[in-house]
Amino acid sequence: MKIKASYNNIGNYKRYLKVAEAVTNYLNKSGYLRIELPVLSPSLIPESYLEVFKTEFKYLDKKENLYLTPSPELFLKRLLAYGVGDCYYLGKSFRNNDPSATLHSYEFTMLEFYKLGVDYMGIADEVLKMLQFINNQVKSEKSKVKSESQNLKVLYQNQLISLEKWEKISITEAFKKYAEISEKELFDHELFLKKAHKKGYRIEGFSYEDVWSQIYTMEIEPYLGNNGYPTLIYDYPKEFVALAKLNKDGKTAQRFEFYIAGVELGDCYTELTDWKEQEKRFKAEGRLRKISGKTTHRIDNGYIEALKYGLGQCSGIAIGMERLGMIFSNTKSISDLKLITIE
Amino acid sequence: MKTNAGNLKKGEFVNHLGEVWQVQKADFYSPGKGSALMKARLKNLVSGKNVEYAYKSNEQVDVLDVQSVEMQYLYKDNENLYLMDERSYNQFSLPIAIVGDVCKFFKEGDKMYVYLHEDKPLTLRPPMSVKLKIIEAEDAAKGDTVSGAKKPVKLETGAMVMVPIFVKVGETISVNPETGEYTGRV
Repeated sequence: MKIKASYNNIGNYKRYLKVAEAVTNYLNKSGYLRIELPVLSPSLIPESYLEVFKTEFKYLDKKENLYLTPSPELFLKRLLAYGVGDCYYLGKSFRNNDPSATLHSYEFTMLEFYKLGVDYMGIADEVLKMLQFINNQVKSEKSKVKSESQNLKVLYQNQLISLEKWEKISITEAFKKYAEISEKELFDHELFLKKAHKKGYRIEGFSYEDVWSQIYTMEIEPYLGNNGYPTLIYDYPKEFVALAKLNKDGKTAQRFEFYIAGVELGDCYTELTDWKEQEKRFKAEGRLRKISGKTTHRIDNGYIEALKYGLGQCSGIAIGMERLGMIFSNTKSISDLKLITIE
Repeated sequence: MKTNAGNLKKGEFVNHLGEVWQVQKADFYSPGKGSALMKARLKNLVSGKNVEYAYKSNEQVDVLDVQSVEMQYLYKDNENLYLMDERSYNQFSLPIAIVGDVCKFFKEGDKMYVYLHEDKPLTLRPPMSVKLKIIEAEDAAKGDTVSGAKKPVKLETGAMVMVPIFVKVGETISVNPETGEYTGRV
């Protein structure tokens, strides 16, 4: 890898700073407390699909493993349980195994915020208001026109997207509409893999989750956020939600993601507050990590302790700040916003 | 040679659904809901058509062993380009539909690399830059001194490119054949 300085990106970078400033302005004025957090932790939440960076703290003859946090969730949930109230983190997160790509980097800036007393759709309302606020803040006074609905539009890669409302679609509806996969096939692993095989995907040696993810990316994502509005796609199969509350149907969980012009920007769920269920899922995720040969790390039992202490209903969302910056600066790749990249 | 799709790189040749394709773009993508993926744009080397395919990053992909051989460009007709391996004097043809617009910038005698798989040509790697003479150009309009202003000119191969207005007919310029952009005077 090499260090690359790209001074040509200064205009985009300044635009990104404006977006980040609008985000903090919006959340501060809406009563969220900004929380600064460590990026190194001695224990983590086990998540089967995330690989982590491991390092070592040394003092005289004492050594201890530390890990770069892939998300601030473990810290924020503790604080929520102990009464911090609505809060957010805007800072670095780390995902090993994510090479630099159009929409990825192993080191990135994450916005994560939590609101008490609402479910995931309550967060959806908040996100929409935040997008409108950002758009208004970053638009130059000159470019504003009298029409309110025109001012709610953002131009991204030759597409005008109105931030007036969400286009909402459930996972079940989306698979039916875009991939012709029925509800029955979607939730039955065996039927799903059979259907995928018929469609020409390789299934031998791959899990339901792997193939599901491939079909989602190939056949669903290209349609998301491309119909004139940002798309909110919700209610994922329970296999994809380690920390979210299940719906009454027992098959799906309260999770949504949102997209603008095919770019996934955020991932939200109604938080699972049942510590027994959470402990069970931690064990399952930990096992999956071991099977897939991921770095072993100490499991954050303090997280379970915090849930035991008691966490009222709350929901949270993680948003990729660089991706959000891309939308409002009309750039194609996260590296377009950076003055320094490691490639 | 089998490799994980996660290792695919632009320019490589793969067997996909029983046909030969060249990777135009390979971009890591992790939807966070299952295995990571490698989003590839593949160009079919028979039809010239492009498709997007998202491989699971640990899916085995058959990458073709290819040889790149320096050849001399001879000429083209309506459908094909003709090249010659200067060592063996063997001639090869490649469909224009596969090579694409870059061939508008080739002139007899240009050297370039051709990719061969089991002695059959797949496609070519265009040179980074070609030198071509301008055969038609308008004179810059008087008073048109805006910096960065450009005008179209016709090159000896018939291709059109935009050049700064001070460049004149009869001059030789260098062009990047892949982008069709003027890169300087020679």
